[in-house]
Amino acid sequence: MGLKALGEVLEHVKPQVLFHLGPIPITSTVVNTWIVMAIFLPCIYLLSRKFTLVPRGGQHVLEMVAEFFYGLLEGSMGREGRRFLPIVGTLFTFILVLNLSWFIPGMKPPTTDLSTTAGFAVATIILVQIIGIKHRGLVGYIKHFFQPIPFLFPLNVMEEMVKPVSLSLRLFANMFGEKMVVTVLFFLLPFLAPTPVMLLGVIMGTIQALVFSLLTVVYITNFIHGH
Amino acid sequence: MSFWAVALAIAIPAVGSAISQAIASRAAMENIGRQPEAAGDIRTTLILALAFMEALTLFSFVIAILLWVKM
Repeated sequence: MGLKALGEVLEHVKPQVLFHLGPIPITSTVVNTWIVMAIFLPCIYLLSRKFTLVPRGGQHVLEMVAEFFYGLLEGSMGREGRRFLPIVGTLFTFILVLNLSWFIPGMKPPTTDLSTTAGFAVATIILVQIIGIKHRGLVGYIKHFFQPIPFLFPLNVMEEMVKPVSLSLRLFANMFGEKMVVTVLFFLLPFLAPTPVMLLGVIMGTIQALVFSLLTVVYITNFIHGH
Repeated sequence: MSFWAVALAIAIPAVGSAISQAIASRAAMENIGRQPEAAGDIRTTLILALAFMEALTLFSFVIAILLWVKM
């Protein structure tokens, strides 16, 4: 059992370039995201088409997610926190579906590629900064960096810079690690050995989606309430 | 020899974060037992804290993968 066998594992996990759209290479990650979106968007449309006062069928699922995040946002920001439900809820459901797309046979979940998670994280952090500017005004936003004492300015800027890195690496490494472990186990013992680890993958995928949206809530709260 | 670098790069942080997660989970469980009405708050905070601890192992995991690819 040498390094060659392990190199083979990496081939199965990393994304491949499928075709070029002009100068831009289109990887399997992007195509997989499109596939997930093509399945997910019609589902949500069908679920949310007819809302009734007394929920029936799929409306329960949507209401559960919405209620959970309403509770979370109101707990941390009070009544005004309800405004941010679309951001947080979208991040949660989309990342959850991307993570669980692993269980479509032959699918590489798009979150095992750093590009996807980095895209999510950078977009989220930029959005959080915009929310901060809108809520505090430009002066208040800049003042926020000098908050406890002006001496901490470089540290505060650094904190904002590190946020997207840690946010994206956390999601990426979790899903990538999960996939690596299962692939290695599959090479060693193909029959039934990876199944318990894959079951762990369901829990991990859900928790990571939850953690991503929880951290978004925490970052927004930071700007709404200050330190 | 460089095998050891990769192996230890993932093993040592895993030990550290396992211990810290154990301590955090134990404290959370004890306090849920003591105060069941605060279970929701404690659970949310616990998940956040666990995520931060987990992240350290995952960063070292990424570094281990990088080391291994460079090997």
